Amino acid sequence: MKIKSSEQIFEKIMREQHIAFALFNQDLTLESCSSNFYKVLDVEESEDNVLWTFFPELIGNEECIDSLLGGNQRRLHLEQISRFKESGDLSYYNLTLSPLKNSGKNDYSLICIVSDVTSKTLLQQQLQQQRNDIELLRASLIHYHQHGTYKIIGKSRKIREIRNFIDKISNIRNTTILIQGESGTGKNLVARGLHYSSIFKDKPFIEVNCAAIPENLLEAELFGYEKGAFTNAVQSKRGLIEEADEGTIFLDEISEMPFSLQAKLLSVIETKSFRRLGSTQLHHVKLRIIAATNRDLKKAVENKEFRQDLYFRINVVMLELPPLRDLDDDILEIADLFLQSFVYDFGKKIKGFSKEAKEKLMAYNWPGNVRELRNVIERAVIFTENDFIQPENIILSEFQTPTSSQKEHDALDLPANGLSLYEMEKRMITQALERSNYNQTKAANLLGISLDTLRYRIKKYKLE
Amino acid sequence: MQRVISRKVCMLGTFGVGKTSLVRRFVYNRFDEKYLSTIGVQISQKQLPPLQKGDSDEFVQYKFILWDLAHIEKFDSMIKNYFRGAHGAFVVFDLTRPDTLQTYSSFLDPFLQTNPNSKIIFIGNKIDLIESPDEELQQLEKIAACFKAPFFTTSAKTGENVEKMFIKMGGIFIED
Repeated sequence: MKIKSSEQIFEKIMREQHIAFALFNQDLTLESCSSNFYKVLDVEESEDNVLWTFFPELIGNEECIDSLLGGNQRRLHLEQISRFKESGDLSYYNLTLSPLKNSGKNDYSLICIVSDVTSKTLLQQQLQQQRNDIELLRASLIHYHQHGTYKIIGKSRKIREIRNFIDKISNIRNTTILIQGESGTGKNLVARGLHYSSIFKDKPFIEVNCAAIPENLLEAELFGYEKGAFTNAVQSKRGLIEEADEGTIFLDEISEMPFSLQAKLLSVIETKSFRRLGSTQLHHVKLRIIAATNRDLKKAVENKEFRQDLYFRINVVMLELPPLRDLDDDILEIADLFLQSFVYDFGKKIKGFSKEAKEKLMAYNWPGNVRELRNVIERAVIFTENDFIQPENIILSEFQTPTSSQKEHDALDLPANGLSLYEMEKRMITQALERSNYNQTKAANLLGISLDTLRYRIKKYKLE
Repeated sequence: MQRVISRKVCMLGTFGVGKTSLVRRFVYNRFDEKYLSTIGVQISQKQLPPLQKGDSDEFVQYKFILWDLAHIEKFDSMIKNYFRGAHGAFVVFDLTRPDTLQTYSSFLDPFLQTNPNSKIIFIGNKIDLIESPDEELQQLEKIAACFKAPFFTTSAKTGENVEKMFIKMGGIFIED
């Protein structure tokens, strides 16, 4: 068997291990290099053969290199230096510089050893990425909780009023706040905003959905219990009111709270104290109560479903959240926020909504409010393959709640004494003309009649 | 008369504060929402516009060699090699993560030990995510005052103050 030369073996090892070397003289000009040097570095051969051309990473290390060339330093090692390849991919390599003694005294060349560590580093990168992602998610969650109000986005007058409300009321602890609004309008978000904008934001924020906890458990959950208070009460437990001490308790869907418990809650609000189930000891608490409901509590009181005294007690400061359909252009701003979030989550490259898609979003009346909008955008992002979301990607529910004008229309019941249809029609046409600044096309649209019909009636009622 | 001078500038800060994004915004005028953690070091270069030296006719043009360093968990001789020869550093914080404003000494102290005359600028990044950053600003100002260094609030996403922070570093070099 013929043994290959050691040079051949050396070259083979270097190729297999993705290692290359280059030798630079005292002027830092390339003297020689391994055959794979350019390939490992992914650079073209050029006439400019100085050290800095190959390794701009060494700029700033001039003193160190002088020291190496003088034989005063053993080596300089840099790890995991990344470079973009021509293909656009990242490559990583380790670089070691070391002096190599020539024949003359104090005559050194500089050997640069480059090893391609891309695959190993990419694995390490993936691991690191996962660790960092977890940490960043945790941090963004904290940020979200602490800056809840800042997530109430929008420029409309109604949204500005909500922000002002939060600013004014957030630091007042003793006042009970009632938040009313349709389902999905962000009652929870506002409650969090109120708490996390306050000076006691570091204290607990406890959320209780009164409709989600079975009636027989709600009392124990809210007030806690002592060991032996009832079967299975094997040890004492603090209730949610106690847990919220110094902070805020948010009672969502308060209208669903059992009538019997409402009296107990009233007592807590009035006396700031309560007793655990099975205990005679009075616990005092200092907390703010925020209640929310999507029902008309006044009507619930009239229907004897909600205690009047509790209604008056929690309705000290009331905030009515507007439905999404009343927020004008804010709909697009909120939609854009969801879009960005889902694009990031799903790793898509969608840039925005097409003009037609925006029109579709604006034309819909969003019975499910922000919650529905969020779901619609999530679905659109999943199924969109284009740069922009198109109207066909926006799949809307068939359930539509009546718009304000529809509601007004529905409210037009025939009075007990009857009315003059002639007068009524005349008044409606006058109002439509006034509301549309005497633009007859718009007025006809408001009344749901053709332009010709409107013109005929204007003439008939002498409204020209 | 105009000279081009290379200056090594390091980006320091804990992970996810936006060091790479700031460099990308400055060098390539690009921003990517997706976070990709940096491993080791990424080196980019960018030439600043010519800056006038005092009242003289002399203009200096700096070429920044930007060392975007991965989050450093422990300081060792390798890190020293990364730091060595740096003329300046940006210490970057994430304004949405107040804890990032508290851990700077683990990398800034060794950096200043390696380069005692290096110039420092403190950066509060992600300002676009904070509506009223009063508390965070106070803290940033306090830290910068300790080091008698300037500070900026930036957004790599919108580009707010990104160019300014690099020009400021050039201005400090020229004054020196």
